[in-house]
Amino acid sequence: MVNLTIDDKQVTVPKNTTIFDAAKAAGIRIPILCHDKKLNPFGGCRMCLVEVEQMKGRQIPACTTPVTEGMIVRTMTDEIAKARKLVLELLLLKHPVDCPVCDAAGDCDLQNLTYEYQVNSNRFTDEKFHHAIDYDNPLIERDMNRCIHCGKCARICDEIVSFGAYTFISRGIEAKMGTQFDGPLNCEFCGSCVSVCPVGALLARPFKFKARWWAMDKVKSVCSYCGTGCQLTLGVKDNKVLTTIYDENQGFHNGQLCTRGRFAYQFVNSDKRLTTPLMKKNGALVEVTWDEALNAVQQRLASAKTAGDVAGLVTPRLTNEELFVFKKLFKDGLGSENYDHSAGYAHSALSKGAVESIGVAASSAVIADIQKTGLLLVVKSDAYETHPVVGFEINLGVKRKDVDLRIISDKKGKLTKLPGAKTYLNIPGTETLLVNALAKTLVDENLVDAAAASITGFEEWKKSLDGAAPEQVAGICGLTADEIKTLARDYVKAEKALLLLPLGLGYPGHTKELAQALFNLSFAAGKHGKEGCGVLLLAEKNNSQGAVDLGLYPVAGGKDAAAIIDGCAAGSIKTLYVAGENLVVSYPNRKKVEAALDKVDFLIVQDLFLSETAALADVVLPACSFAEKEGTFTSAGKAVQKVNRAIKPVGQAKSDFEIFNTLYVNLSGKPAVADPKAAFAEITASVPAYAGLTYETLGDAGVVVVPAMTPKFAVAPGAAPTAEVGKMALVTGSALYHCGTMSLYGEGPMHVCPAGYVEIGREDAKRLTVQDDDLVTVTSAAGAVKLKVKVGSRMPEGVVFAPYHFADQSVNSIASGESVTWVTISK
Amino acid sequence: MSNAPAEQLPEEEIDLAAANEIIDKYLTLPGNLMPVLQGIQDEYGYVPKPTIDLVAERLNVYPSQIYGVLTFYAQFHLKPRGRFIIRVCVGTACHVSGAPRIVETFFEKVGIGHAETTPDLRFTFEKVACLGACGMAPLAMVNDDTFGKMTVQKVDDIIAEYSQRPM
Repeated sequence: MVNLTIDDKQVTVPKNTTIFDAAKAAGIRIPILCHDKKLNPFGGCRMCLVEVEQMKGRQIPACTTPVTEGMIVRTMTDEIAKARKLVLELLLLKHPVDCPVCDAAGDCDLQNLTYEYQVNSNRFTDEKFHHAIDYDNPLIERDMNRCIHCGKCARICDEIVSFGAYTFISRGIEAKMGTQFDGPLNCEFCGSCVSVCPVGALLARPFKFKARWWAMDKVKSVCSYCGTGCQLTLGVKDNKVLTTIYDENQGFHNGQLCTRGRFAYQFVNSDKRLTTPLMKKNGALVEVTWDEALNAVQQRLASAKTAGDVAGLVTPRLTNEELFVFKKLFKDGLGSENYDHSAGYAHSALSKGAVESIGVAASSAVIADIQKTGLLLVVKSDAYETHPVVGFEINLGVKRKDVDLRIISDKKGKLTKLPGAKTYLNIPGTETLLVNALAKTLVDENLVDAAAASITGFEEWKKSLDGAAPEQVAGICGLTADEIKTLARDYVKAEKALLLLPLGLGYPGHTKELAQALFNLSFAAGKHGKEGCGVLLLAEKNNSQGAVDLGLYPVAGGKDAAAIIDGCAAGSIKTLYVAGENLVVSYPNRKKVEAALDKVDFLIVQDLFLSETAALADVVLPACSFAEKEGTFTSAGKAVQKVNRAIKPVGQAKSDFEIFNTLYVNLSGKPAVADPKAAFAEITASVPAYAGLTYETLGDAGVVVVPAMTPKFAVAPGAAPTAEVGKMALVTGSALYHCGTMSLYGEGPMHVCPAGYVEIGREDAKRLTVQDDDLVTVTSAAGAVKLKVKVGSRMPEGVVFAPYHFADQSVNSIASGESVTWVTISK
Repeated sequence: MSNAPAEQLPEEEIDLAAANEIIDKYLTLPGNLMPVLQGIQDEYGYVPKPTIDLVAERLNVYPSQIYGVLTFYAQFHLKPRGRFIIRVCVGTACHVSGAPRIVETFFEKVGIGHAETTPDLRFTFEKVACLGACGMAPLAMVNDDTFGKMTVQKVDDIIAEYSQRPM
């Protein structure tokens, strides 16, 4: 520890702390423009100049100077004030000072400091810049005339996002912040640059001229897209969510968001939202009152209860409290356990795999472990696309913490390009075989951790690996035996090692077995139950983890999603209650799903939008978005976090909580669950991992729950998909800008990625004589769709990729839930 | 120049074999970006856009960063340069000895301004700050040939001479 004096205050801070951070810890504010707590010190703006007595009154930047023992620092003297004022005068020399029309006004560091230092005149004059403003993309406006060259955009894009869109172009007075070849911005559009821009040089276009910063209410909430569980602050005015506001102190991610979090909030106030209940009359959906709709639903459910032919499919986007009441409605109100979510398979890695392997439906690691580990093995580079902010954590781990990144993947991606990352391109669908071969290497080379032998199932598991040796599976997996062995040795040799697997509707191959193979590997290598070790299963949606925690899948005797669809088709399920799921688009085999829904006597759909599934319903109930309700979400990293109500329900929409509750009371005859808080209290009493939590203890930060784990080796056989001669392997998954089908109603993602596509490698594109934007027909045994071609360097020969989100020409028209779909592509 | 939007670089097709060889040579060297870019400029006479994409991909450096480096150093060129680079010194000694008139005459006779290249790629013209031979002021250079005590008449001779040389 180092002792120093800042403004007559004794401060003790750890070695290598900067003066800026030491002052901050002591509650002393030093003004900054180019510094950001998430970024490496830069020392460019000279606003943070302070005096250090030992340096004979010389002014030095506080943000880059480390403290030394006995240092006496003054953060404000007449000389410092003069110097800072000079900095501001020089910055304002070229700045257009167009604050009245600048969206950053009120939230602008330059404006605020100019005011604070009373720079009401400028001793210098010069011509202003006349840089052309980049309006080329619909999300980020770049007005380089307002830029103060703090370099934060370039640094965040490099250090955290690892995209590198920005650079300083030219030198001296001609220098400006630009892009490659000084062209328009063409990037991931995560908006990180916008969030850190201290002025109005980078602006969120969807928010432009919508509201003054100070006129908005700021409501803390949690992003409702992927399972990362990013906290965000909603900017609200006139019952509308107008923007997301950057707060560097929010969450593990320090306010960092991806495209969806930053630019896809518009679904909340979308004019496509359902505002009244609808009922099918004479073959068409017409508006009805809540009373009429609920009466119809209630009567139907009451008779379905007697007949025992009811089932429910619910989205894991709902809050824990809503899912809890949904489950109560089914169990106590309808006496049925026929309910499931996420097509069943998207959670089986957790609900079946983890349950058997560690005794609880959860990961054995948390997101914070990514930066604490020594070696990170990611199964599928898609982890970046499914959970972009987890991707940022990986970037940071690799760049700042020297995490040794290994990727087993059927395609290249953002992660495979990180410095030092080693990629093992495998044949699609062979992941489980490959993970088992890694484990077999440990067994064969006597590298198994001593404690592993005492874990239940060890001997049986060891025996099950016969035939899984690297030499035996290398060819099938597309790697060499040496590569597999080296990876296994490196994994076991690392002091800490973490395994990571993304889950989701786009990844039918990420099965129970694959998760178990990963758990087995972590036990065998002694990489379980320790910091920076374990298996991190990234559940897809904002509350997927909550849905499995609450047991929103059939545990004893009920029908799972696949059985429900089959039951509908066979006539054994006559009433289906769908809450938030758009199964027509996202469940495997669209034709089959549509045929099954067609057979259902009474289809109830509760949704924000008239989705493809809702359009088939007998009754449609308008539900509320996350911004309209209170409750909790549990992230993939097991953080239970509070969602707060930011606006009143849109139109006549009611929260899922209220709808389920009404039906529950009327069908069970039991008293209502008073409110989400009461529901949460009941949850904490029934879910062991949540024991002791209350809304108060969650606070703004949320709580990461650590469930008790009991490791057990489970036999997890892998098998390679049977290749079909002359066909290409189609793998499905998530596009970077989308999550599920909800992002289709967010302006941001739809500007950047408006429609489905099929991504093809360069060699294959040449062979098929297709190029970007060509329309091709992709045909599988299940059907055919027309998709636009995207040619890139990510896909190995013979493998193509298509994202699953899109309703038109949806990929589930050709994919039936296998890890690989064999297709032909023709023009 | 600072206020003008950057000119669009021409889309061009070039043979990347030489660039690949240069990259191969420096691939394992730490801090290899500068020697690679210098090698490419020596080879092609400038740094063509396709080579930037190639270097970015092979050295795993952002294309934006390469562009930043290329625009920071005056010695890198993003557009094809002439076979003959005419440099006229406008440093102090040359300035007082009449360099401005020499510059103007070159502008007039060759038809290009500062840092520009003739469409036939024969000449590139540059004003430079000092060539380090003030005793010979006013001074001009064509590639490595030096012409001291420049006069307006000598401009014609120089242009005539280098117009005949093979490209």
